[in-house]
Amino acid sequence: MTSRLKRKLNDLGVDTASSKANESFCLIGTPLPPLEKSKDTGEFVPLWKQEVRDEKGRRRLHGAFTGGFSAGYFNTVGSKEGWTPSTFVSSRAERAKKKVARPEDFMDEEDLAEIRENRKLVDEHEEMEFGTAAEKRKQMEADDQDPITAALAASLAPPPKDSVGAQILKKMGWRPGQGIGPRLTYAQRKRQDAGFLDPSKEVEGDEDDVEEAKKHMYPRRDIPVITAPRKDNFHGLGYTPGLGLNESVGYGGSTQRQSSGPQIAAGFGLGALNDADEDDIDIYDSGPGAGRSRVAFDETLGDDDQHISIGSSRGKRSERETRVPPGITQTFRDGTTVLKGFILSNKPIAEDRWFPGPEVPPDWKPNPRRVWEQSKNKENVPVGQDKPQTGSQQPLSHAAWKSSQLSADQRGSILGETPLPAKTRSVFDYMSQKDRERLESIRNTKAGAPAASAEARAPSPGPPPPAPGGLQIPHLHPSVAKAALQGFQPFASDPVKHSRYTAFLTFQANHVSGEPVDNVGFGPLPGQSMEEFNKELADYAKSATVFKPLSGAMAGRFRSAVVVETGPKIFEGLHQPDTSAEGEDSQADHAEEKEEDPKMGAVRLGMYGPLTREVQPWQPAKLLCKRFGVREPEVDMTGPAGAASSDFEFATGAAKGVSQALETPSGDVAGAAPALITASSDSDTIPRNGGRRDLANIGLGEDETQGQDILTYQRPDMDVFKAIFASDDEVSDDEVDEARKEEETTPAPLDFFGTARPEPKAEPTPPPPAPPAFTNAPLEKVDLATFKPTFVPRSDRESRKDKSEKKDKKSKDKKVKTSLMSFDVEDDGSIPSFGPSVSKEKDKERKKKRRKERHDDEDDAMWVEKPPPEVVKDLPIPPPLPPDSGEGKLASETNGNALKASEAGPPRGRKRAVDFM
Amino acid sequence: MAPSRGPVPTPRKLHKTLANHKGPVHVARYAKGTAKYVLSGGQDRTVRLWNPELGTEIKSYSAHGYEVLSITVAHDNSRFASSGGDRQVFLWDVMTGQTIRRIPGHMGKIFAVEFNEDATVLASGSYDSTVRLWDLRSQNRQPIQTLEEARDAVQTIHVGRTYIATGSVDGHVRTYDLRMGELRTDFIGHPVTAVVPSQDNQTYLVTTIDAHVRLMDMTTGKMLNDFKGHASSSYRIRACFGHGEATVICGDEDGKVWAWDLVDAAPLQPNPPPKVHERVVTWIEHHPIEAGEVITASADGTVKVWRS
Repeated sequence: MTSRLKRKLNDLGVDTASSKANESFCLIGTPLPPLEKSKDTGEFVPLWKQEVRDEKGRRRLHGAFTGGFSAGYFNTVGSKEGWTPSTFVSSRAERAKKKVARPEDFMDEEDLAEIRENRKLVDEHEEMEFGTAAEKRKQMEADDQDPITAALAASLAPPPKDSVGAQILKKMGWRPGQGIGPRLTYAQRKRQDAGFLDPSKEVEGDEDDVEEAKKHMYPRRDIPVITAPRKDNFHGLGYTPGLGLNESVGYGGSTQRQSSGPQIAAGFGLGALNDADEDDIDIYDSGPGAGRSRVAFDETLGDDDQHISIGSSRGKRSERETRVPPGITQTFRDGTTVLKGFILSNKPIAEDRWFPGPEVPPDWKPNPRRVWEQSKNKENVPVGQDKPQTGSQQPLSHAAWKSSQLSADQRGSILGETPLPAKTRSVFDYMSQKDRERLESIRNTKAGAPAASAEARAPSPGPPPPAPGGLQIPHLHPSVAKAALQGFQPFASDPVKHSRYTAFLTFQANHVSGEPVDNVGFGPLPGQSMEEFNKELADYAKSATVFKPLSGAMAGRFRSAVVVETGPKIFEGLHQPDTSAEGEDSQADHAEEKEEDPKMGAVRLGMYGPLTREVQPWQPAKLLCKRFGVREPEVDMTGPAGAASSDFEFATGAAKGVSQALETPSGDVAGAAPALITASSDSDTIPRNGGRRDLANIGLGEDETQGQDILTYQRPDMDVFKAIFASDDEVSDDEVDEARKEEETTPAPLDFFGTARPEPKAEPTPPPPAPPAFTNAPLEKVDLATFKPTFVPRSDRESRKDKSEKKDKKSKDKKVKTSLMSFDVEDDGSIPSFGPSVSKEKDKERKKKRRKERHDDEDDAMWVEKPPPEVVKDLPIPPPLPPDSGEGKLASETNGNALKASEAGPPRGRKRAVDFM
Repeated sequence: MAPSRGPVPTPRKLHKTLANHKGPVHVARYAKGTAKYVLSGGQDRTVRLWNPELGTEIKSYSAHGYEVLSITVAHDNSRFASSGGDRQVFLWDVMTGQTIRRIPGHMGKIFAVEFNEDATVLASGSYDSTVRLWDLRSQNRQPIQTLEEARDAVQTIHVGRTYIATGSVDGHVRTYDLRMGELRTDFIGHPVTAVVPSQDNQTYLVTTIDAHVRLMDMTTGKMLNDFKGHASSSYRIRACFGHGEATVICGDEDGKVWAWDLVDAAPLQPNPPPKVHERVVTWIEHHPIEAGEVITASADGTVKVWRS
């Protein structure tokens, strides 16, 4: 009971402890049987533990000490109180009441059960008596007996019992002797009769009878049950046992017997010692005396007396089989009982007959050749020997024998057979055409080699017996020598030998094979005899053939070692480790190993960065991202490593490309402009091309590059916007010089839109034409250093006059090639003169922006002021001013404008300076 | 920042010595927040909580069956995790001193444990060369993820806001960037013992046992600076940034505490520094807020608090 319910009941005032409260009203399921009953009753119990109990579970059989058979009440006699002798009670008064005792009164339970069994309606033990069978029996009996005895027997014998089925049939109107089924008309019955009886009989009935007969219905004819006799013999079908062949054919048994002995079947000889066995007797012998006993299929089931045993010893076998009395069960040898109705045969199952082989003469020796000789055209005769000399033939080895034989093909050709259509398949058949061509080409290039190698395989020992003192140069084919030169160097550990080996090989390689050789190019070592030298040369030749690298197609599959293993040098005596040398060695080895790994090499050089960095996609678990509060990245684990980063690179790379395009020399400015256009307007296409674009990537969410367009988008310079959108006053507000220029050339703004589109686009970037850019590069650095001081004087502004003076001065100083210094000196003065005005801040911002991308506008500013004369000298093109680079370009494009630009240049610069103020 | 004033001098004055550990101290870490306390773990299988101001031991946490090699403190100072030779990460309740959770799963010593920012994930790096990321929000016994890229023992882990940086004995620093979904592997070339990123996550300090401390650029993997001079060949030592990340300080195997200028990589005076510990300085950590406080843990069994 739950605590809540308890509490509730307590509140209601019910005593939860009472049994009523705990009473259960529902019974679920069937109770399990008591435990002891569920014990395994079939369990094995040792004999002394076994108990005998009656059906009521009482222990009935006790051990000797516990009382033997129980009797009476709880193993006592009589009653609970024990046995008490009965006292005499007169039965006179009750005599009338006394019932007649029935046998059941004296029966125990078992007997009663038996009686009950017997009272069953159908006695299944009794034989079923079927109508026709009973009739048959009657008939059979009638055959045997004369009618009187039959009648007598019938009267004596109890009437045959009908089976239940027969009884039912009888009740239904069936009579024995009739067929079963609904009654038939006369015609039908006749038809039925015609089926299996002789029709003539029936049809021939009295005519009037027929008329009468047609009025009635007839029971069906009884169809006798066909009882197929059991065939428990081995005779052929239709064979009548005991009937001779002649008899069966029709001749009488008049043929007289010819011999008294058994007729022995022809065909097999009978040994002198052998008796005529039953098997040997001619079963087809139909002599009258032979009788039934001689036939193989003997009728043994019949009378014993007629059996005649023949043969002396074995005849007993055909003795009558033992009839086993029904009560005794037979057992096989292994103990299993024979099935009911079967009899154990005392004859073993058919034995195989065994014929002893002929006696081998004691002096006989096997000589198969003798047999072969007898017939000339035996294939075992060796081909080579027309007349095989017996005896003197020495044994051939297998190979020799095989070679002496004709091959299958040869035989075929001798016999004039057409060769088999399936040609032999070689490895080449399995190769592609390409490979075959390749092989062909290889073979052509190394045409000489295979043949040569075959020759050289066994380096010919040269002219047979050389003079012992003479030089004996082993022959080596040049191609082999050449190959060996490139291949493994076996004597690398011994420098002297190595050099001699190579010399030998080079000599052989250059040597023309036909020529006689008398010297190898080097002589024997001092203290080396000619024999030794010869041996050395032979060694070289041998090792050349051995170590020559593989030729042909296989060569590509192997790679000879780069490092030659020289093997350990063996010192005699105790080993004294040379630590220093080993240390060096290991260090050197270490260094080499490091060299193998480019990363390690980079580390050693301290070149950390791209060399040591690997970027690969990594998929963080979803949960991890959740825990870190990070959106799960879209990682393409299958894609190339760092796909995302490469995209990013491209995005920024595009910007770089733009800036690079802008830095192109001024001559190309016009050309650069279109480049800029493509870069800026199609900036989104570039990363797209570079980045990975597949189906999975399409769609807003998946495109990794889409945001980057915005991120990396660089706002065009303010100038662009101004040039395009600004009204005149704005422009004049910002850049007076431009305004002035516009005043001078009214169509100029129109030009921006009309002449070329690129221009406005190009404008944003303040690309200084190349020459100034070059000069700027060094300038920049110097300026940076001197930049700070310039700020100080910037506050006190000087007049424009000053500046113009300086400019003049500068123009006088054209000659000075190192304009930096002079410029610097001037700068200090000049820049203050252009001290920034109210718009200074704005400009600064712009500067910053520009600096980020490409150039320092400060430079530009400097450059604007400073060098017009100088640059003018250097270049035909007037130096375009950085902010007005568009105009500069314009100038370069159109000659007419060029002049204007050149004119406008200086004043513009001035204006700009004013602007700054 | 501070360059005009020059780097803040490295604290060299011994303030307190925390010497209750028996045997080497492997790790000493400041608490989070104002970092008023220090937790140290050592060979004696205990984690001790100290007040570095007074130099007193507040509490001793003992449940480990093996040495304590790493400690990490949760952001709210309510829990900390420690790990060591017993291949389990122990998650402790600071107040009660009981282990809240023991996280088995590693096949070897756990050299490094690190919480993430809000202590929902715990990263543990082990001798079995894996880093396992455990979810502390659920009772799941399986790690969220196992990072198996390391080829050798993982010695150090740093868990940033959106990345996990691990340093391994195989000489690689691996940065698992969760946001980018990429793994950046920087080959340092020598067994890495410590990776300490800077505050701006643009650079990190790598301590390797070839006696170099390298300042690496996190985005490109380039080496920005190389600090050397100290002795380090076989022990796990750690270099960290000084105050304001103007200096790099590192203890070495001789018991010295080295300091370098971050920018020009020149050792700061005194050069060579005096020997302040008897044995190898296993851990050094600068106070996260205070300008002039550094703690060093050493194999001589002491944790020393230095002030300037």
